Amino acid sequence: MRIPPLPLPWRRLASDRRLLVEVFAFANLAFLTLDIYVAHSVNAFRHPAEWVPFVFCLAGAAALGVGLVLALRARREGERVPSERISFERGAMRWIGLVVGAGAVVVGVAGLILHLESQFFQYQTLRTLIYSAPFVAPLAFTGVGFLLLLDRLVPPESVEWGQWIAFLALAGFVGNFGLTLADHAQNGFFHATEWIPVVSAALAVGYLTVAVGWPQNRAYLRLGWIVLGLQVAVGLLGFVLHLMPSVAETASGLLRDRIVYGAPVFAPLLFPNLALLAGIGLWDLAAKVGPEATVLSAP
Amino acid sequence: MSTFRAVFIAVVLATALIVAALLVNYERPALDVERPTAEAVAATGRCATCHRQETPAIVVEYEASRHALVGTSCLDCHGTREGQEAVDHRGFELSAEVTALNCDQCHATQYDQFLRSRHAAPAYAAIEGAEPFTAEQVAFSERYHPGAVARTPNTLAHLEGEAAITAGCVSCHKIGQPNDDGSIGSCTSCHARHITSMELARLPRTCGQCHMGPDHSQIEIYEESKHGILFDAQRNEMNLRADPLRLTTSDMPVPTCATCHMSGLGGLGVTHDTSERLSYWLFAAVSERRPTYVQAQDNMKAVCGNCHSSSHTDAFYAEAEAVLESTNERVLAAEAIMDRLYDAGVLTATPFDEPIEFTYFDYWHYWGRTAKHGAFMGGADFVQWHGNYELLAQFVEIKAHAEELLSAHANSSPAPPLATPGE
Repeated sequence: MRIPPLPLPWRRLASDRRLLVEVFAFANLAFLTLDIYVAHSVNAFRHPAEWVPFVFCLAGAAALGVGLVLALRARREGERVPSERISFERGAMRWIGLVVGAGAVVVGVAGLILHLESQFFQYQTLRTLIYSAPFVAPLAFTGVGFLLLLDRLVPPESVEWGQWIAFLALAGFVGNFGLTLADHAQNGFFHATEWIPVVSAALAVGYLTVAVGWPQNRAYLRLGWIVLGLQVAVGLLGFVLHLMPSVAETASGLLRDRIVYGAPVFAPLLFPNLALLAGIGLWDLAAKVGPEATVLSAP
Repeated sequence: MSTFRAVFIAVVLATALIVAALLVNYERPALDVERPTAEAVAATGRCATCHRQETPAIVVEYEASRHALVGTSCLDCHGTREGQEAVDHRGFELSAEVTALNCDQCHATQYDQFLRSRHAAPAYAAIEGAEPFTAEQVAFSERYHPGAVARTPNTLAHLEGEAAITAGCVSCHKIGQPNDDGSIGSCTSCHARHITSMELARLPRTCGQCHMGPDHSQIEIYEESKHGILFDAQRNEMNLRADPLRLTTSDMPVPTCATCHMSGLGGLGVTHDTSERLSYWLFAAVSERRPTYVQAQDNMKAVCGNCHSSSHTDAFYAEAEAVLESTNERVLAAEAIMDRLYDAGVLTATPFDEPIEFTYFDYWHYWGRTAKHGAFMGGADFVQWHGNYELLAQFVEIKAHAEELLSAHANSSPAPPLATPGE
């Protein structure tokens, strides 16, 4: 059976990796709104500062959404729209991205510092490290912020652009490795399946380190689809395994409480999320390196 | 870079990370990870992440406890046992109330001994009577303490009212309160929550939180006694945390309440039945020998033997029993006066509605008890000034008051003189 081709706007979007990264950043900020709400509900937003990332996500995602709508409408209308309205180099879309990106970096670093007040830094034991507030987690904001900044500040035709994208995905997988290790250590790796994401994240880190550092080998870059495919599968499996105890018929308590205080339902989705980002980076690198390389022009 | 070299480096990096993860996990204490359920593992640390902020003192107390040392997790005590109501608490299923049943899962012997003691059902029935207990609980307790649970609620307490009972009587007597899960009592009355301390239970002040005041002035008597003074002087050299099964006089050369009534010094068995070494019903108006008199007194004398010769102990007991007998005699004499007042219709059958009934109640309940407790605990001043002197003075008062009442009741005819003990 022949698969029908994508409509033209979607094909354009899929071929514009810069815009894909923008959509990725928007989707992540929007989803972080829900994730932050659940995470900070664990201690009922005890400190007023815990509302800051939640509000920032809402406002940032809304602003980026406006920028994206402008860009997509401009594409549809072609030459009739002034170019500065859709440019990453000039105009509203550039400044929205720079402001939201810089803000996300600040929120992420501030979150890291505030999470350092956790009990681990008071007692500095393995146990308190495992049960501490996840001080690495706010760096998700910093990662999204850097994505928005590099999308505007790094020349899209350069190899460096793809390297940066893959590097940020690599940093995300390093975080995933640490977080899955700490989170699953909280219940002592009671189920053997809890080791799967640790191993999977380690593979992604090993693979992406080489891909970012030495991106010239196209065969190696193609191998990435297997590694990233594994991350997607692991993430979806984790999502199901985390969700099952909360929706099981034998589960007690309110569904909201089970989701807030149970296994973090959305956390495993970081794997396919980062795999998507890494995929964009590898796709870009594969297009720019080796004998078949093609240099993309700026939109 | 060749494809092989790239793959090789990636695999080495990934393997190194996995090995590091395994090593870090291996370094975790077995107590933290080897538990029957994933929730039990998590409870070792996750509870503290919130409670260190919300109620930090209980985390500090727990961490200083022996429970923490041997790896007992929050869920071990706060988890549900059969018959307990469960509540959801932030992803954990907890018992709505932590009772003696939770302690029983690890300390079954101690709980069984406690159930046989007067600290159990008789303590609470002394206020509320048999009604709060099941028929099985009443029957069980009656085997050891006849009449102590199959009884009516305390008349005086209920005249004082519910507020006084709740904030007053029950604060101490709840040590034997029946729980919704079918168990009786709360071990935390003596051991406290979270610190769950043996040291605390061995401190005289802990017993003194209830065993104080004129009706059961054990702590005041102890503090006046040589035992109490020695404890004050040597408290810092004593090892009150010593294992009960290995306790020696090197750990506790000076006796506290727990030493004489519960501890396993000198080859005696450790017990949570605080009645085991008591030979008389000292709390009663007229004290009689307990059914286990001989065995109980032998047990107590064995404890005394760690410091005193048997002749000294025998002499001490003889003196104490003499005080007990004379006190009984005085109380019986006062009781006879009261009986005569009731028989003559001078007093109504309603309890505590005439002043002389309070005077008589104080007579045996305060001064009679104090004299007897003082005698058995080495509190000379309590035998004499706080005991017998008061008995003497109050008897004169009761007698005079009774004569007035009888005279008034007979209208014109003078009442016959009342007898005085010893006459």
